[in-house]
Amino acid sequence: MSKIFPKWSNRLPLLIVVFVFLLAGAVTSGITYYFTPKYTRIGYTPQQPVPFDHSLHAGELGLDCRYCHTFVEKSAHSNIPTSETCMNCHNQIQTQSGLLNPIRESVKTGDAVPWVRIHQAPDYVYFDHSVHVNRGISCYSCHGQVNEMNVVSHAKSHSMAFCLDCHRAPENHIRPLDQVYNLDWSAGSKSKQVDQGLEKVESWSIKPPQSCSGCHR
Amino acid sequence: MKRIPQHPKPSLAETTGPRYWRSLDELSETPEFQEYLEREFPGGASELNGIDRRHFMKIMAASFALGGLGFSGCRRPETHFLPYAKSPEQVIPGVPTHYASAMPVRGEAIPVIIETHEGRPTKVEGNPSYKPYGGATDLVTQAGLLDLYDPDRAMLHRSNGRTLPRAELDDLLAGLGSDYSSRKGTGLAFLAEPSTSLTRRRLVDQLKKDLPKAIWAEYDALGDDGGEIAATRLLKRTARPQYAFARAERILSLDADFLQTEVGHIRSSREFADGRRVEDTHGKMNRLYQVEGHLTVTGGMADHRLRLATSQMLGVAIRLATDLGLSVDDAPEGAAEALEAHAEWIATCAHDLETHRGRSLVVAGRHLPAEVHALCFLINQHLGNVGQTVTFVGLPDIQGVSLAELAESIRTGSVETLVILGGNPAYNAPVDLDWTALQKSVGNVIRHGYYNDETSEAADIHIAATHYLESWSDARTADGTIVPIQPMILPLFDGLTEAEFLGRVLGLQTPDPYSQVFETLSAELKGADPEKAFRRLLYDGLLEDSGYKESRKSISASAVAKFLAEAKVRAGPSSENLEVRFVGDYKVDDGRYANNGWLQECPDPISKIAWDNAVLVSPRLAREIGIEPGNSMVQVARKDPNPGEDGRLKSPMVEVTVGGRTVGGPAVIQPGLENYTIVLPLGYGRSKTGRVGKGAGFNAFAVRDSRNLYSASGATLSLTGATKVVANTQEHWSMEGRAIVREANLEDYHAHPEFVDHLGMESHSPPIYGKDKDLPLPERIIDTPKGNSLYEHPTFDGTHQWGMTIDLNTCTGCNACVVACQSENNIPIVGRDQVRRGREMHWIRLDRYYSSGSTDNREIPEDPQISIQPINCQQCENAPCEMVCPVNATVHDSEGLNVMAYNRCVGTRYCANNCPYKVRRFNFFDYQQRQLNKLYQGPLAPKGMPELLQMAQNPDVSIRMRGVMEKCTYCTQRIEKAKIARKVEVQDSPDVAVPDGTFKVACEQVCPTRSIVFGNILDPKSRISEMKQSNRDYSLLGYLNTRPRTTYLAKLRNPNPEMPDAGRMPLSRVEYENKNHVGAPGENHGGDNDHGDHEAATEGGHHG
Repeated sequence: MSKIFPKWSNRLPLLIVVFVFLLAGAVTSGITYYFTPKYTRIGYTPQQPVPFDHSLHAGELGLDCRYCHTFVEKSAHSNIPTSETCMNCHNQIQTQSGLLNPIRESVKTGDAVPWVRIHQAPDYVYFDHSVHVNRGISCYSCHGQVNEMNVVSHAKSHSMAFCLDCHRAPENHIRPLDQVYNLDWSAGSKSKQVDQGLEKVESWSIKPPQSCSGCHR
Repeated sequence: MKRIPQHPKPSLAETTGPRYWRSLDELSETPEFQEYLEREFPGGASELNGIDRRHFMKIMAASFALGGLGFSGCRRPETHFLPYAKSPEQVIPGVPTHYASAMPVRGEAIPVIIETHEGRPTKVEGNPSYKPYGGATDLVTQAGLLDLYDPDRAMLHRSNGRTLPRAELDDLLAGLGSDYSSRKGTGLAFLAEPSTSLTRRRLVDQLKKDLPKAIWAEYDALGDDGGEIAATRLLKRTARPQYAFARAERILSLDADFLQTEVGHIRSSREFADGRRVEDTHGKMNRLYQVEGHLTVTGGMADHRLRLATSQMLGVAIRLATDLGLSVDDAPEGAAEALEAHAEWIATCAHDLETHRGRSLVVAGRHLPAEVHALCFLINQHLGNVGQTVTFVGLPDIQGVSLAELAESIRTGSVETLVILGGNPAYNAPVDLDWTALQKSVGNVIRHGYYNDETSEAADIHIAATHYLESWSDARTADGTIVPIQPMILPLFDGLTEAEFLGRVLGLQTPDPYSQVFETLSAELKGADPEKAFRRLLYDGLLEDSGYKESRKSISASAVAKFLAEAKVRAGPSSENLEVRFVGDYKVDDGRYANNGWLQECPDPISKIAWDNAVLVSPRLAREIGIEPGNSMVQVARKDPNPGEDGRLKSPMVEVTVGGRTVGGPAVIQPGLENYTIVLPLGYGRSKTGRVGKGAGFNAFAVRDSRNLYSASGATLSLTGATKVVANTQEHWSMEGRAIVREANLEDYHAHPEFVDHLGMESHSPPIYGKDKDLPLPERIIDTPKGNSLYEHPTFDGTHQWGMTIDLNTCTGCNACVVACQSENNIPIVGRDQVRRGREMHWIRLDRYYSSGSTDNREIPEDPQISIQPINCQQCENAPCEMVCPVNATVHDSEGLNVMAYNRCVGTRYCANNCPYKVRRFNFFDYQQRQLNKLYQGPLAPKGMPELLQMAQNPDVSIRMRGVMEKCTYCTQRIEKAKIARKVEVQDSPDVAVPDGTFKVACEQVCPTRSIVFGNILDPKSRISEMKQSNRDYSLLGYLNTRPRTTYLAKLRNPNPEMPDAGRMPLSRVEYENKNHVGAPGENHGGDNDHGDHEAATEGGHHG
């Protein structure tokens, strides 16, 4: 038999086992890295029909988020502004800018401007903006430093684990109600955040749902 | 670890004693029924038909291969937001808007509030501002929404096969008016449905002025109201009786189905239930005596029920009048005499009514002839009930002539152009008129209708009508209150409203319906600014104090005598002279809702048949004509020892011949019918309808002639030898276990207030809550170690603990909750074939049980009593389904909900297998992804539910796909919405608990009898806490220690001990005691049973 199977082949079973383990490990880590929202979503920065600059409007000019996203306090869905909202200012300034042509066209025809969707919750997730912003969770916690973005990109993973991290420990994110739309606010340090967070969780009776029924219907 | 609910085997006494049964199969314990009991889904439901394993693997392999091809599309697709260009008023994306409107139905309109999502109506609710209905609606109102999105509705105006553009149509209508105006309307005829609309009334008045010679006729196949005819003649003005059940303590109903089909039935149900609601041990109840030939929903609620044919109602009324001391000398001979056998029943009932003067009520069915109504009015007046429980209200005059008169004009050739507005006379006109031929004989027929139906087929021009949700109009409720009808959405297919149609024919300046409705209603409105008042009216949805005026004239005995003198006496039915009773169907009415999938799939409240109608025959008649196999007892299905096709109920086909015409259909034995009455439900067998209604049932209109519209004598019945499989859900989801329905008599309840605790296995097993039994409810729910069970239990640390009670005492079984739930929760329809296999998806079902005093279970009782029990997910605290789910798709949440995460479900169906209540439903096919006629296609089939149907879906609820389990969620979307709204409102305050009454779940909201109560058990002041404290509260199959959050309040009946039939009907508490007390004490089986008895006696002693 030794003619058919050389000596080194005695180690083959062991090698196979090791190889299978290595391969499985590589595949697992590959999938966890490349196939989860952390990799697939963060950094998604599609080109928009109008290069709207959040850092200019929300940052430099200091527009409140709610000037455009009007119903974020009232609705589950934070609305994208209507073309008319843009024209409130842009019928005064930049009236000739070619970049705004799609907006003017839209107001004229009544057709929507096809903004490209960046953040998308799956159909079976019923996320509600209003309950978050009215109970001390800032836009920043999920959307990042939007007031510094020239072009909006996907800043956080928005995976279920991302949601649950906060629902399990809301003190890490909760802030005073008057600072919800101030994306530059900070408690000062991690420990100060937690301290004031815990106090609010207690006194506001914050109990974020951790059961399926909280988000899935 | 899997926990298997162990049901103890029934004792011998239990199986031989009187009991509850849902179907004839259960009664005779056929092997088929045993199988239903033992399986989670009925046999055949879980099998793949027609495909063997190999074929299945092939398909799977192919689909995997296709999946592989799809990998190239792995990149995230770019999707777009499409915001409004111009900000619309009042629309907040993601927040529904609610508008008041009203759904016009026969003789009234149901005030409703419509939920619209971004301009798309998705749910209909009752308008709570209308106090008599208090926010309740009914089956048909709930389902009305689906008609709007019916892909089979007429979408085009057509003229002789060619599409008619809108401009041409407008010219056509204007031309019609101007052509005939020179001749003052000679040769022009209109046929419309009766309507309560004020705008229509105004336009018709104008039409009669402008075109005085034109004929205006009105026809509704089931529109006749004997009460209106009688009241109109007796009071010398158009009037009708209006009943106030709230004040009635003793009710005698002659063939009246006032809880389900009469005008104003929602109010009747509500008030009747209020009179039956027993809040504490000393509570009082009204008493219902029902005399009827058919078994109706109302009959199911009766305390005493006398089975008599419709033709005999005159006799009952005469006997009653005589017993009460009224002179009825002019009454025709023979009517009362025929009822000698029931003399004592009627006399005792009369005595009971008399002792409740002013608080009693005699009510007759609309379909009964006017003389019966006239006599009932006299009886009510004699009893002092007029002005108390019955009032007469003046109605506006009838504008139209009858269909028969119009037919006569057509026959004489004086009609050149016939305009048919709505209705469907070619299908439902009396057969002796031969309407279709008559219609075709008219030169020019213009039809304005919602569907391309039988009538459109025989017309030259079809004009598409709008749905009420697309229309401006107005209407009046049953008591005459004016309600506006406003559109929720622009006409989807450029349809025309009736008002606009008439407006254009009349050549009005502003024929658009808004202007017309505004013009009509501003005349009714007070206030300086009509615009403002009109907006207010639209906001409120009704005009206060605009009801019909009460007429205070008294009924003269001599006028009634004149009526009686004209009455015709009909011989009672016998085996040689069968009587046919034509009834409007509970679901499709006179056929108008035949293409509505929600209604077709909803089982009939009593017969439990879906998707078809059947010839209903009594057990005795069935035996006589031989619908029973040789020497075996009872069963239709038993005739064939191997029922074959899917193992479902096979009904023999029969032919009914009446008045020389014959119609055939499957015969179904319906216990509770008068022995020789055959019931033919109308509205099925449509020859031209959409994909849903196609092929449903047989057309009973084919034997209905104008002399015998509601009942006909002299019918014969014969078997054809063929059989048909009927989709009957009565055995689906059968539960094994004792004392599922618990009931007692009122007196007995007074003596044994704790009776529910001594029925069922709980009385034999150690108390479930052990020594914590007397703890306050909230503590018991949160703190009690779950009945000393070894399993791990969820912690209930949520802000709320949700629970539900269903009061069996007031539930009439109207089925409104079934369709309301379907609409709210995006529940698909599965079609006839799947219902036959037991795959219907309804999250709430109504189990209908029969019971009779008989201990001989080999005979079908002819006169059983009915108990209804709605069953949805019981939301067990110790849920058996959760323990077996391999993927944690069904788990508990902190507020006590047994939640279902669809996206985790892999479809093992273990949960359904382990559910003792059988409330879990499985998506065997992609019902939500297919065309209506292609529901059963596999995963590779082309996708696509019609876009129109998708619009009916509630965006707050996930659409479930094939292979996913689903069940009642307690409307978790409404709970979450209320919780979120509360949190948004309180901002940084800790007061986040949702106050009681903030929201209602779908089934609770629709319930006309307020039998369903939902709320937070932790709030000691909530209605639900109150209900759960009742001593009638019990858990279904409580001995399994599942701790359901849904509990039931036991049913009570209030029979009159002096009645001849008192005590004949079962009363489950007493029967239960007797059953478990068979034989001498000390016999072997007495052990546990003695325990129950003993406890019952002592406990009863304490409290009684």
